[in-house]
Amino acid sequence: MKGWVIGIDVGSLTTDAVIMDEDKRVLSFSIVDTGYNSTDAAREAMTVAAGRAGLELEDVSRLVATGYGRAAVPEANKRVTEIACHAAGAVYLFPDTEMVIDIGGQDSKVIKVGKDGRVQDFVMNDKCAAGTGRFLEVMSAKLKIPLDGMGDISISARGEAAISSVCTVFAESEVVSLVARNCPKEEIVKGIHRSVVNRVWAMTRQLRVSGGVTMTGGVAKNRGVVALMEERVGRRINVPDEPQIVGALGAALFALREK
Amino acid sequence: MSIAPEIRYRFMKDIGAPLVMGMAGLKGKRKAAIKRDIPLGPPLKCSKRLKEIMTRHYFLSRYAEGARPVAWVTSGAPVELLRAFDFYTVYPENHGALCGAQKLGPELCSIAEGHGYNQDLCSYARIDIGVCLSGKTPVGRLPRPDILFASNNICQTVMYWYRVLAHHWKIPLMVFDTPFNFVSLDRSAITYMVRQFEEMIPELERISGRKFSEKKFKEVLRLGKSSAMAWGEVLATMKTVPSPMTIFDAFVHLAPIVSLRGLPVTLEYYNVLLSELKDRVSKGIGAIVNERKRLMWDNIAIWYKIRDFSRLFAERGMNFVTATYTNAWAETISYMDERNPMESLAKAYSLVILNNNLDHRLKLMERLIKEYQVDGLVIHSARSCKPYSVGQYDLKRLLMERLAVPSVVIEADITDFRAYSEEQTTTRLEAFFENIEDGG
Amino acid sequence: MHLDLETRTRKDYIREQKSLHGRKVMGVFPAQYPRELLLAMNILPVEIWDPPLRTREASAHLQSYICSVVSLGLELILQGKCSDLDAFLFPHTCDSIQNLASIVNDYLGIHKPCYFFYHPKAPYKRASRPYYISQLKELKSGLEKQFGELRETDLKRSVDRWEEIRKDISKCYLLRSEGRLNTSNRAFYSILRRVEYLHPDDFHPLLTNFLQSGRTETERQGHGVLLSGVLPNPPEVLDHLDAIGVRVVDDDLLSCSRRFLSGPVSNSDPYEAMAETYFSLPPCSTRGSAIEERLNHILKKIRSSRADGVIFLIVKFCEPEFFDVPILADSLKKEGIPVLVLENEINQALSGQIVTRIEAFAEMLG
Ligand code: SF4
Ligand code: SF4
Repeated sequence: MKGWVIGIDVGSLTTDAVIMDEDKRVLSFSIVDTGYNSTDAAREAMTVAAGRAGLELEDVSRLVATGYGRAAVPEANKRVTEIACHAAGAVYLFPDTEMVIDIGGQDSKVIKVGKDGRVQDFVMNDKCAAGTGRFLEVMSAKLKIPLDGMGDISISARGEAAISSVCTVFAESEVVSLVARNCPKEEIVKGIHRSVVNRVWAMTRQLRVSGGVTMTGGVAKNRGVVALMEERVGRRINVPDEPQIVGALGAALFALREK
Repeated sequence: MSIAPEIRYRFMKDIGAPLVMGMAGLKGKRKAAIKRDIPLGPPLKCSKRLKEIMTRHYFLSRYAEGARPVAWVTSGAPVELLRAFDFYTVYPENHGALCGAQKLGPELCSIAEGHGYNQDLCSYARIDIGVCLSGKTPVGRLPRPDILFASNNICQTVMYWYRVLAHHWKIPLMVFDTPFNFVSLDRSAITYMVRQFEEMIPELERISGRKFSEKKFKEVLRLGKSSAMAWGEVLATMKTVPSPMTIFDAFVHLAPIVSLRGLPVTLEYYNVLLSELKDRVSKGIGAIVNERKRLMWDNIAIWYKIRDFSRLFAERGMNFVTATYTNAWAETISYMDERNPMESLAKAYSLVILNNNLDHRLKLMERLIKEYQVDGLVIHSARSCKPYSVGQYDLKRLLMERLAVPSVVIEADITDFRAYSEEQTTTRLEAFFENIEDGG
Repeated sequence: MHLDLETRTRKDYIREQKSLHGRKVMGVFPAQYPRELLLAMNILPVEIWDPPLRTREASAHLQSYICSVVSLGLELILQGKCSDLDAFLFPHTCDSIQNLASIVNDYLGIHKPCYFFYHPKAPYKRASRPYYISQLKELKSGLEKQFGELRETDLKRSVDRWEEIRKDISKCYLLRSEGRLNTSNRAFYSILRRVEYLHPDDFHPLLTNFLQSGRTETERQGHGVLLSGVLPNPPEVLDHLDAIGVRVVDDDLLSCSRRFLSGPVSNSDPYEAMAETYFSLPPCSTRGSAIEERLNHILKKIRSSRADGVIFLIVKFCEPEFFDVPILADSLKKEGIPVLVLENEINQALSGQIVTRIEAFAEMLG
């Protein structure tokens, strides 16, 4: 098979690859841990994805890299930021998208996109971890609840614990004292989700978008966060089946565009 | 100015306001009857009257628009000048404190943050900008200003903040620039300030559509000065052991001198409060049941914690008897002198604590510690307020060195409790309590 | 004697200025101050904006919510790195510098004379100008007590000299905005920022040389941006813009154009001339200019330099700048001009996140 491309997203936690043909059909994808060597991780992700699609890596016609480690992919024909890639990927999946919310491991971004899939404006969180996946990770470790179980737990909560601090360290101590006061776990988790959502929501307000909203990034899998975010923005939010690979998907779209 | 708003304002002032005032008083009464705090002494009878006055002020503000020229004013601005033109004044800082006390800080701040205002900016400013952008306020409605009046004698921040307001409301910003006293107040600075007043008068005449009346101005100065002196006497009653009032009361009873300065009601009020306090002193009634230790507070209040803190400290027999913050309105306003109005006004406003060097602050605190027999100091490091907070670590060290006064720093904010950690504060305070008990 | 300015450190330079030229050296905190006056008294101003240090001692005196310009400035003093300085000058720039000045003067007990300079915060008032002049004169008489009498002729010469330099700085800006200055972003600011500590005898030749050797007639390639904010830091931002082919074509930086690009001087009295210079500087948040005025100034610059976008480089916790930014950014966006707001510590290395922001912004430019 000729004319297929790879998009690769080298993130701080995982490295994802998406293989796409000329008709913009996804042939396969892979998600591997980034580990300590981004270049190796990128190779591994590509090999796995190619294997799944039954293709030989040598035959790839173009390769576009994105993500923090995009510079560490020597084979890339082009490098594009994950901002542009998430925007392109989200519009490909949901053509009504006007705003992309990507809550990633290290940072969160809110992107305003035009109908053509191009970035019109964007905001990112500041240095601190509040409002990112990292915040959830810290809290899941504190509460001894697996990260991917947090969403379901919070959905079952009847009440909600108030967590007011914006700083991760302060919030952590708030959680500790809630635990000490025997506050139900699900209510604490819901409060934690609320805190992430409030942070990200403040970012969305800066862009003032009224159209479709798509959530990408690993945290989009957390039903609790998505539900609270929907409540906050006041409309349904598009969530892809595989929210983590949207960046790589966008990179693949860029690879096709440049052909 | 059209007639209808004028009539409506008068009506509300004469009939509507007394009604709400009565209601506000009732509410207060009911609460007081239900809740009795054990470690605290009997509540001040005056509180009801204060509530009425402030409720009336905010209630009337809704009708002021169109009836009287409206100014939004910073807490340290020489409002006496505006009073001479009969401006209705709104104090966003006072309003911010009120929102803070009602725990609305984060909510209103985040509206401003949603418009790109950085989280690290003064939270009074963020609250106010949030209020302007959304129209939300717990007092119903704030009247649209005709003019903004700011002085940088408390901070430069108010200048930045009011510029945002000027842009938002598309109205003039009048600035009273008070050169900071790095060393001492000099002649050229006084001349500069007096000249600014002279430039303001014709402009205020134009905006208000009223002529400047020297007579009225002098009357306002006299009233302002007397109220400040009465407030000073109110605070001075706290020198008595046990103190008839706590600083947490004072934070609340400060409202008239901040936002109704130069009006007859303020002087009347403080005279009533003063006689109540004197009565308590003569009967030996303290604000807390068992006053064992006397403390000083530094910086603006942590508005959302006032209730909790007053209990927390009272339970341990500790009473706050003085604060640099409450003192600020008694300290320099008494320099006002109707015989030399402009120059004395310039002095009164440029010599305030926050426009003065840190050596001045250190000496002031030393004096208060001695006069009020202070055993310990609680320092609020307020994230919002750089001019008040930068230098506190050294102040702490120096006061310990010179007077051996134990102290504790609480990292918090005036209204934005997202920057406050209950756990961290408790730990610090407990260490402080141990320390102070050891000391004697 | 030929000065090899590239290789010598600031410290060596200061020592040499003292030993070879008998100059006194004044450590000056940001931002605006009458350098003409100091230089006329043979005092070399050495500005303290971004000392290459890590905060260690300063956190015992300053809370964590104070900007890094102030905390690193204090750090420099606390680490004993100011021993060569004869005095400090603190202009009244913002609340944080104001209190820093007072901490240094009142609390630290470092026994070094401190001078203060208050500039009027209401530049549109009639009262401001005479006050500014009285401040200049007061500073002068204060300095005379330590450094000896100032001769009027020296002052006049110094004022003229600074005007010449400012003209050449303006020329650099003009050529750059027209794309006729062949220089990298990094090189431009590293030359310009030498003004922060070089004596005019050394700075002026450096500048004119840069101006002559950099002139080119070729058209600008790639995208152009205007930089706003406090100072062009961290410098790695400039490097990165260079690397991705984005040119800084103009700026509205407090440490740069907002202090240098004033109008021509017509007055022959040196104090009047200094006041004229000061009051014709571009609008600035630290001097009380209306936001509208600053916006129009930036828009004008964007038009004349054909900038494709604006990057605000704001020092974390900087109140004067952060209050202006939302309205500026919003209004620029409404005009269809892309805006990027970056918040950093002045000496912070470029994080991957900031790199991504810059690149995504460059992608937005088209
Ligand atoms: S809290 Fe401080 S910074 Fe804010 S307005 Fe008051 S004095 Fe200014
Ligand atoms: S960066 Fe801003 S806050 Fe810091 S010293 Fe400069 S003007 Fe002041």
